[in-house]
Amino acid sequence: MAAGGRGNGHGMAGGRIVIIDVHAHAGPWFFSTEVGAVETNIELMDRYGIDLQIVSASEAVTYDMVSGNRWMAEVLAAHPRLLGYLVINPNELGEAARELERHQATGRFVGVKIHTTYPDLPLTSTATTEALKLAAQAGLPVLIHTWDDGVLGLVDVLERHEELRIIAGHMGGPAWRTAVDAACRTDRLYLEPCCSITDRGRFRYALDRVPLGQMLFGTDSTLVDPAIALGVIADADVTEHEYEHVMWRNAAGLFGIETTVGLAA
Amino acid sequence: MVSTLITMVFRPPLPAVPAERQEIDLDVDVLFGAVPSRDLDASIGAVDEQLSSHGIRRGLVCSLRGGLFDACSGNDEMRKATEQTGHVPVGTVDIRDALTAEEEIVRLAASGVRLLRLFPVEQWVEPDSPGLAHVIEVATASGLTLLTSGDVSRFWRPFSGTRVCFLDVHSYRVADFVVLARREPGFVASTRMLVGPDNIERIAGEVGTDRLAYGSRAPLHDVMPSALRLRTARLTEQEWRQVAGGTATGWLGDGS
Repeated sequence: MAAGGRGNGHGMAGGRIVIIDVHAHAGPWFFSTEVGAVETNIELMDRYGIDLQIVSASEAVTYDMVSGNRWMAEVLAAHPRLLGYLVINPNELGEAARELERHQATGRFVGVKIHTTYPDLPLTSTATTEALKLAAQAGLPVLIHTWDDGVLGLVDVLERHEELRIIAGHMGGPAWRTAVDAACRTDRLYLEPCCSITDRGRFRYALDRVPLGQMLFGTDSTLVDPAIALGVIADADVTEHEYEHVMWRNAAGLFGIETTVGLAA
Repeated sequence: MVSTLITMVFRPPLPAVPAERQEIDLDVDVLFGAVPSRDLDASIGAVDEQLSSHGIRRGLVCSLRGGLFDACSGNDEMRKATEQTGHVPVGTVDIRDALTAEEEIVRLAASGVRLLRLFPVEQWVEPDSPGLAHVIEVATASGLTLLTSGDVSRFWRPFSGTRVCFLDVHSYRVADFVVLARREPGFVASTRMLVGPDNIERIAGEVGTDRLAYGSRAPLHDVMPSALRLRTARLTEQEWRQVAGGTATGWLGDGS
């Protein structure tokens, strides 16, 4: 059964999807942590009951978009529980367009990832907006790193590009109240909670204001242990209805992921 | 016939953890009072409930009033609150007023307080502040163990040679903390922001679990993220108990 209007063939054969992690990574980091092996993704998914993870290559995010995406494509081909974000560097828009041509046809990349720190470009820069347009033209949702009040600027971008759908990664980080304001102004801005700053009640605050259909679950694994985001959900006093939508139903719809779970509710 | 309304509370599924890891003995990072930046119930009663509902037996409790407004009256309310609840008293001073802090540290030590929490970040104090160095010196001379906010990579220097728990050691700073801990026998990291899948385990392997202490920052932060991470840590049971209370118990000096 296709979860969204754009069912694209991804699914969990014979399994019940319970948790879809929409913000994860694969590959090594430059910090003092040994989490680069893809087996670590799978081990953590098994430990915490995560069925499906949408990942971007750490190399593509922090250093080289092309070689990172190439490695990611090879990993995705071998690991059915992982789906991919194709990383786009707004500083290289021509190459970014070619990256989409190279990899989108594989069907394993279901979204685009854009960071702001490593490209050294603010959320609302012209180049970042152009990169978002590329993703929109490709019909792919975008996960973008948000960490300040600039998240509010995404509302204007979404108003100008009606086909665009954006996930505010970390739901604004320390600017989470601004991210909630932004998500209340457009139904195509989604929030996910992964963050090392676990301000009390942050996710409940969002659930009480943002339409439920715009709330997602992400972990930042393997950079961050999924225990952190799962703990945030556990402390948010979610109802079963909210849990189901946050943990997989909304993501299945957004990314067109087929599931074996009935979706009529 | 009397009908009874039963409210079913939904509990999101979490990974199973061993029964012996359900109770965390001591939380080194607990506050209470008012939170001007949030709409939060941070009263001592609410904090007590937050800790107990997450399986935390006792906290090292400091007054937000003391850290953010007035140290002396904050420490007075802290003493009352900890006497009522059984949590461990933690005093504080305002680093911006190191002169008043001298007297307050002596007063705290004389009343039996063993721990002093510093708020350099919240009080806009830089790592090379003369006031900070002086407060640390006076506190150490009074036999107090220190707890402090601030990035360990920036704030470690004035604490050299002391017994101190850095409450804000981030996952990205694991290597810095380890190289410091190798030469500073009194340096301990709170686990709150050791959010990576191997941060706790790596520090434990490099310098031992006596350099780690569980901290939640209740009531300002959700407790379950840090508690669940600790409960799933790949440590032996002895190592786990050390982080979950043993390290902090050593600061109290009385086995309480």
